[in-house]
Amino acid sequence: MTVAIVLLALFGSAWLLAVIEGWITTGRLSPAAPLYSGLAHLGRESIVPRSPDRVFFEAAPVLLMVVAVLGMAVLPLAPDLVIADLGTGGLFINAALAYVLVAVIMAGWGPDGAYAMIGGWRFLGQLIAYSMLIVMPITAVAMRAESLVNTAIVGSQESLWNIVYQPLGFVLFFIAAMALSFRAPFDLPTAEGELGGGVDAEYTGVRLAVLRLARLTLVVTLASTTTVFYLGGWYGPLLPPWVWSLVKTLAVAVSMMLAGRYLPRIREADLMRWCWVLGIPLALVNIIIVGLLILVVP
Amino acid sequence: MYAQAFFVAVFGLAAIGFGVVVFRTSSMVRSALALLFSQTAVGCMFLAMQTEFLGVLQIMMMATEMSIMAIFMVMFMMDPGGLGGMDMSHQKRFSIGAGVSAAIVAIAVALLSDWGPAAEQVPDAEAQTRALGVELLGRSMMIFETAGITILTAMIAATAVAIPVKNLAGKDDKEASE
Repeated sequence: MTVAIVLLALFGSAWLLAVIEGWITTGRLSPAAPLYSGLAHLGRESIVPRSPDRVFFEAAPVLLMVVAVLGMAVLPLAPDLVIADLGTGGLFINAALAYVLVAVIMAGWGPDGAYAMIGGWRFLGQLIAYSMLIVMPITAVAMRAESLVNTAIVGSQESLWNIVYQPLGFVLFFIAAMALSFRAPFDLPTAEGELGGGVDAEYTGVRLAVLRLARLTLVVTLASTTTVFYLGGWYGPLLPPWVWSLVKTLAVAVSMMLAGRYLPRIREADLMRWCWVLGIPLALVNIIIVGLLILVVP
Repeated sequence: MYAQAFFVAVFGLAAIGFGVVVFRTSSMVRSALALLFSQTAVGCMFLAMQTEFLGVLQIMMMATEMSIMAIFMVMFMMDPGGLGGMDMSHQKRFSIGAGVSAAIVAIAVALLSDWGPAAEQVPDAEAQTRALGVELLGRSMMIFETAGITILTAMIAATAVAIPVKNLAGKDDKEASE
């Protein structure tokens, strides 16, 4: 039952997000548009490139989807609404999301196309920039909760949300999460206009539909992670806990999309330089500040 | 208990299977990712053996490490796509001999050593993680810190050696063209 509810929330949010994305880009609010778009993809011919690495080509969209769902499996929507409340939940999310990279590299290498391959390897460069900014803020969050269990992490924010307790960590994690979901302005692997779609370029029909749905689902999973780690998860007045979780998750996801809409695409070299020169030292400072706060404030 | 043994066996066989694929393919990327999935299967074995932290850590670390290895193989190998049908195995006789003798030793160790009584109860994942944290920040702190600093030094040294001295090279080119 829990599995069904969480999956429904995940894909429902992805659908809502697609509607909102359409609204932001075209100015028209059409709730059925994602459905039409999905059906259109299913109706189209699924072209396979001339000499693909077939296993990678077929597996990549599915793996991306599996990764997004696996990440969501350890995130609580309410105190008892979580598929698996693992003892290492905070680390497990990171482990699951590491396979986004594997999926994108597979999608880049599989079709045997220049643009796709450049896109795939670009994401590896992007990982070298963002990965530390995912891990280090999670460390600070776990330090405060004194646990890696995600429900305990939410529980530690009952009196004060982490966004207030460690705002620096939130900013770094939010940026890194945007880079991990490779949407604008961090859409270097797909980069329409310079790479012609990058890793998306060679996918058509049903495979493209799965790939796009997986990317939207990934955004929801990352927004939910941000909610659990920084926005107090299910805590909130009046409404039931799961409603608060969903509202916060959608708010984070929409703010990620809006940020992408109004910011120019960032250059690979700049992304790496800023993350290493500025991001990692700031993440370390965040850990030190949180450590001091834990020791000083009872 | 039987389910646990079953899953350990399944993931163990998967690890061996993917390990074989590493040498059966001619594409560097396939080979690297096969090694990745072999190591992931070992991580899943840890999970099946109720060592959750080690399992998750293994699964997490391997994804990035093997992907980075894949790009290095693409950069530095003469036939990364395997289009020339190159063979991934080298020194066949020696490696077969080494592999067989290593396998015999490993099986002998597994069968002949005294493993002591099997643990009836293991602490849950949260308690294990806490115990590990206490261990890392207590008795074993110096060992791990020393290892960490050594690895960091090696990384910095390797990067420093790998960066070409651009200014000097440019100067030489300029002089040569003049």
